Amino acid sequence: MKRATLLVGGMLLVSIVIGFLGLLVGAKPMTLDAALRAVAAPNVGTDGIIVWTLRFPRSIAAFLVGSGLAVSGYLLQSITRNPLAAPDLTGATAGAVVVIVSCFVFLPSLSSVYYAPIGFVGALSASALTFWVSRGGTASPLHLALGGVTISLFLAGITTYVLLLGGPQSPSVMFWLSGGLQGRSWNHVLFMLPWIGIGIGGALVCSRAIQLLALGDEVAAGMGLRLGFFKAALLVLAILPVAGATPIAGPIAFIGLAVPHVVRLLRVGGPAVTIAVNVALGGMVLLIADILARTIAAPRELPIGILTAIIGGPVFIYLAQRRSFLAGEAR
Amino acid sequence: MTLIRNEWRLLVLGPTLLLIVLAAIFLGVVNMPPAEVLNVLLGYGSMDASLIIGDIRMPRVLTGVLAGIHFALAGLLLQTITRNPLADPSIMGVSQGATLAVTIFLFLTVYMFNNDPNILYRLPVQWLPLVGCVGGGAAGAGVYFLAFRHGLSPLRVTLCGIAVGAVLHAAAMGVISGWGTARLEIVMQWLSGSLYARSWDHVLFLVPFTLLGLVALPFMTRPIGLLRFEEDVARSFGLAYRRQFSLVLLLACGLAASAAGAVGPLIFVGLVVPHLARFIAGPRTSLIMPMTIILGAGLVTLGDLIGRLVGGPEEIPIGVVTAIGGAPVLLALLRRTVRG
Repeated sequence: MKRATLLVGGMLLVSIVIGFLGLLVGAKPMTLDAALRAVAAPNVGTDGIIVWTLRFPRSIAAFLVGSGLAVSGYLLQSITRNPLAAPDLTGATAGAVVVIVSCFVFLPSLSSVYYAPIGFVGALSASALTFWVSRGGTASPLHLALGGVTISLFLAGITTYVLLLGGPQSPSVMFWLSGGLQGRSWNHVLFMLPWIGIGIGGALVCSRAIQLLALGDEVAAGMGLRLGFFKAALLVLAILPVAGATPIAGPIAFIGLAVPHVVRLLRVGGPAVTIAVNVALGGMVLLIADILARTIAAPRELPIGILTAIIGGPVFIYLAQRRSFLAGEAR
Repeated sequence: MTLIRNEWRLLVLGPTLLLIVLAAIFLGVVNMPPAEVLNVLLGYGSMDASLIIGDIRMPRVLTGVLAGIHFALAGLLLQTITRNPLADPSIMGVSQGATLAVTIFLFLTVYMFNNDPNILYRLPVQWLPLVGCVGGGAAGAGVYFLAFRHGLSPLRVTLCGIAVGAVLHAAAMGVISGWGTARLEIVMQWLSGSLYARSWDHVLFLVPFTLLGLVALPFMTRPIGLLRFEEDVARSFGLAYRRQFSLVLLLACGLAASAAGAVGPLIFVGLVVPHLARFIAGPRTSLIMPMTIILGAGLVTLGDLIGRLVGGPEEIPIGVVTAIGGAPVLLALLRRTVRG
């Protein structure tokens, strides 16, 4: 418990330090002194505006999105006891993307406020479909992943076709599809805060159920857990952060898949603590990725999806190589 | 009795394929009387008609037939040797690798060599099949070597394939998203899997792979049959497991990569067709492979024909047609094969 507190505290501290250093870099570099003054005086002068309306909110947004996706992946992996479950591999992300893109192309008058609930419905349907075809994903880890990959590719095909139909307005969608946090403001942060907050908070409330589910369905049912109710509830909780994050940040791969595995390797203890570590680590990774995305090629931005794929992909491939990956020891 | 009935099924399927191919040549956006099409086929057609039939429709249909055979066979081989009913070329990372290679290639040619946005330039589309094929092949090879270190079990191959495929897919999406506006439609068209404007070059590109596959397969029926068993069992029958597994994998990847390069990633063909073939062939396992070939060719041609007729001049890409048609089949199938 003590070690876990240290871990969470350490990661949060690192995030704050990196987040602060991130304020210095970007299209217009800033000295430490200037940044400190700008932080102290919100929206005063050019530096103050850059820090408070551009760099600060997007860093917060990156942290929120990262933590939400990590918890979402952790929940999905817990429900299924399946190391390959994650928002991107169960089709949830693709489900959110396809409905949002369709709304953008076919219903241009629809306010973007509704994108989160619409994305939620899409993501929930897609992942429910994946779970349905793979019978809950508990039979074999690969069946869930194969079903999810197939459904994702299918939805991605439809998205591509909708974009083709959309024609000229596509570029502005492509900007969003790039999974970037460019120009995200405080409004965006406030917009997704409830979705991610409820997802993480709900997961913490249900931590006892998660602990029981880890023992296996029969044991959990024997201990008096209402399996049907809690599995459905946890699935909804897992999709909430995806629904909140996707309209703001676009589809971001691998955070939900790789971060929970890394957290498991740290062996921190019970579900509540594990969720906390997931929040800290997921947020930290995406914060770093976002800062890299806007500094490597400044003043242009790299799509953050490429960076998470480059950072998270090899980690995941390495993890998948471990002999214990499917055996359950890595859980 | 069943024997006769099953032969009969094959006898029905063959002519059906022929009918579909003929329909695909006779029907199209440009309304042409059947007599004129016949004239062209016999060599007496007018200039316009010969152009439409000979240079547009026929290569397109043939490319579809060959690509359908490739995807279906690759799917059958992968499903057999990985002992996984849900395997298809995308689990070896082949589709995603081809996608990534093509997007990077187009991206480089658009942005490196044409900095003036006002000039309308020709994209090097004739290189796409080769680039896609190399990319898909490289991805398949990467998966193979990752899995090789861990003993090449079907489970390892699938797991590595999913991991590598996911990484490549994410990277490709990233490149496309960072694309900007210039000539985006070409990539999108390719991505959704299209037979639009496929020429005799594409047919010539595919034919060597098809021939290689069709010649090699009859010699490989025994190893393929044995590869369905666990490694120990297969070895006890005297099978050089590793070598044969690698050979079949190589063949499947070659077929899938070449087809993905020529027509884009048609994901559902490789997955659904082998199951349909098994369903129709019933107990006669020797019929599964010929059925797969015929059904693969027929379904792709039929899908393309539907896309052309329904969509009119703005045709629906074949990838979308196969996805929409294949998805319900796939879901029913998954549900049936994955027992809890």
